[in-house]
Formats: sequence, structure tokens, C-alpha cells
Amino acid sequence: MIAGNIYGVVLNDRPQLAQMAGDFAMPPYKAPPEAPVLYIKTRNCLASSDSDIVLDADLSRVEIAATLGLLLGRAATKIARADAFDCVAGACLALDISEPESSYYRPTVRQRCRDGFLPLGQFGAFDPEILNASIGTAVNSTATHAWSPERLARDAATLIADISSFMTLAAGDLLLIGLPHDAPRAGLGDTVHVACAGLSPLAVRFRPAGAA
Amino acid sequence: MKRARIAYQGSAAWADLVDDDKALRLGNGEIISTSKAQWLPPVTPGASIFALGLNYADHVKELGFKAKEPPLIFLKGMNALVGHRGTTIRPADANQMHPECELVAIIGKPARHVGADKALEHVGGYTIACDYAIREYLENYYRPNLRVKNRDATTPLGPWIVDAADIPDPQNLRLRALVNGKEVQNGSTRDMVLDVAGLIAYLSQTMTLLPGDMILTGTPQGVHFCAAGDEVICEIEGIGRLVNRLVAEIAP
Repeated sequence: MIAGNIYGVVLNDRPQLAQMAGDFAMPPYKAPPEAPVLYIKTRNCLASSDSDIVLDADLSRVEIAATLGLLLGRAATKIARADAFDCVAGACLALDISEPESSYYRPTVRQRCRDGFLPLGQFGAFDPEILNASIGTAVNSTATHAWSPERLARDAATLIADISSFMTLAAGDLLLIGLPHDAPRAGLGDTVHVACAGLSPLAVRFRPAGAA
Repeated sequence: MKRARIAYQGSAAWADLVDDDKALRLGNGEIISTSKAQWLPPVTPGASIFALGLNYADHVKELGFKAKEPPLIFLKGMNALVGHRGTTIRPADANQMHPECELVAIIGKPARHVGADKALEHVGGYTIACDYAIREYLENYYRPNLRVKNRDATTPLGPWIVDAADIPDPQNLRLRALVNGKEVQNGSTRDMVLDVAGLIAYLSQTMTLLPGDMILTGTPQGVHFCAAGDEVICEIEGIGRLVNRLVAEIAP
């Protein structure tokens, strides 16, 4: 289990930034983002692979964004990009589940922090090679989405360096390195598999409340 | 009863306040003067830290916003906290850094689908936070963004937790902020847009609140920009006084 903070970043997907370039100049944004746009997943979100994730009755379909989680082994404070990976001790697959939300103006705590909305695969040693691998998502055994962290606007090392310029990523914290803007959706009864070469796979199933 | 978390003889420990808050009783029975303790933020490691923006009618008006529906909730990490009598770095370019005195409710027992009428039964205690903001770093993405609200040690918390039983009405407490002795905020928790019970009800609709989780309930009006060297005190009636000092950033 993670003992530290769990941070994620949005608007770190190059195709999305290109697509939204016009929106960034308009209200409510008025200017493109400068610092990494971070969010926090709370501890109630944590779930392990092979979990059932409960979808409350007010939710029909949720966004399922597969990504990589990097586990900090030592604190990163004002760290240089070249030294960023010295602070990373492990990695896992993560499925960042959220209620679909198109606006980036206000924090999305309610959308992102429901119980079980962050299942994680088993941790392995961090090998930078995984940052070039494809992360595949299958819904009910049908390949539905694939992307690679090569799409990230700030790659993992740059992201760690830039975040650490204004706050510490502490040993024990988990950093989700970015979300694909075209992440698929899933709903009740669906089984989701996430796989990436070099990491332990992840599988979850969505079920309604009360139907264990 | 008041409980503090302190560093003492190489350990982090919880201790009860005794002798009119002049001494601390450790778990092993030892009693020490508060002057011997280093105050840590009274938080359970791993707890979720919720914070409210625009949750006092007067502050909303002051900043030129319309009251928000739904509530503006954001989160903080453990790195953001610092204990009573700690220091907070004021970056060299942070000319618009201001303190925000806030009542903090600490969850005492798990809450999920709790109605507002029963919500206060899930509160274990209360403390004080100074939720500094740095307006230069605000961006219109997940605003207030983490570069403003999650910098290391920019949220003084404490000095201690007062048991909920000792705060029968959390919605009738005077809160004040003082900078170098001059009052810069003076409000009442009566003016919250969504009160403590309402916040717990709202959050617990979609997630399980766990013991130790904290809700920083927002701040009243009074925006005062601070300088390095300033002593900032946040006090809430019936809870205590939280002291912090701003220090200059070390030049790179």
C-alpha cells in the first residue's frame, strides 16, 4: 500500500494540448498552463488488481485512463531533470478512473476520488524502458485503447524536475505521469484489463453497489 | 481534551495537554513542559486533506466571485503541513502571499452516505490551519492549483486537536488572523456557505471519509499581503492560537 501522497497530472498529452490550444486563450483559462496541472488521489481511491470497483447509481459510464505510476524512493526537491530518476524506486500500472469532466478550470475532487477509483498493479523495479512501451487497455477482452508515454508533453524526468521546483515529491509518494485525452469509458459489468511490457498487468470489474 | 503531536527525544508522539496547556503528558505517563516539545502538525500520516475555497460569503464577495455551487474543494498533500511555531518560506517573488485562518474538522469515524443531521457525530475533533495563498502563482487550471496550495510547509496546522465534545457548536466560533500583532481577519464560522456538517454530508455522498481525514473549511474576508519575517497568528475561539513565521527563500 502507498504510504505517501498520490499525485497525477492532466494536460500532459501532446495531442490534447494541440487540440485545446484555441481553448487555452479563451475564458475561463485565458492563458496556456505554465506549471504542471496536478491533482491528488486520496487514500480511499486505492484498490488492488482483481478488485471489483463499485459504481454508485448516479454514475453510468466512467473514464478509464491507464497510466504509469512512479514510486519515489527518495525525496525530490528542486531536482535537476538529469537526476530525476535517481529518486524513482519502483513503478506500476495504474487505472485512473474518473467521472468524465471536460472542464479543467476547477479541481475535480468529486469526479476523481471515489472509493476504488485508483486500482494499481503490482510494483516492480523502475526501468526507464517502460516509458517507451505501449500501455494497452481492453474492455471485456476487446482491445480498446493503446498509448505510449512517448506522447507526454513533459516526459517523466521533466515532470519530476518541474514539480520538484515548487513542492517536494517525498519518498513513498506515487506520481501518475499523465493521462491520455482519448481514454476509453466503461460501465457496470465491464471487465477492464491493462497491460504494458515490463510491468505486472492489472484487471478490475465494475459492479453496482450492494451486489458483491 | 486536547491532543498534540510532537517530536520528543527522537520520536514523533501524540501527547495530551495538561496543566492549563503548559505541559504535555506522553503515552508512557511522562509529563514535559510544552517548551521542551517541538510541535508537529497534528495529523495522521496518510490522511486525506480536503480544503475549501470560497466558503465564506464575505470572502467570496471580497474576491469578486459569485458563490459557487457546487462547493470548491481541493486537496493537499502531507508535504504542505507544518506544525505550530514552525516557519514557512515566502518565495522572493511572492508579493501577494496572504494568510487564511481556517477551522479544520478531523474525521473521527468512517463516514459514507452520512446525512447532515448525523454528520457531526463523525467528527473527532477540531484544529486550526493557516492556508497561505500566493496569488501570483494562481493559474486557471484546477484553480487553486497545487503550485499555490501545496508548496512545502505552507499550511501551518495546530497547535493541537480539541475533542469534538468540547466544541458543541462549531458554527459559532470567532476566528482571527494577526500579522505582527495587527488584526487582518476577523470572522465567524457562522458565515460558512456550507457548514461542517454539510461538507461531511457532501463529501460522503461519493467517497468514504476515514478517521484522521481533515477538512479545512475555508476562510473569511481579509486579504493582507505578508513579508518575510512576519509573525502570523491564526486563532479560533475555544481551540487555540497557531503561530507561524514567514522566512525568506534561500537564494539559489
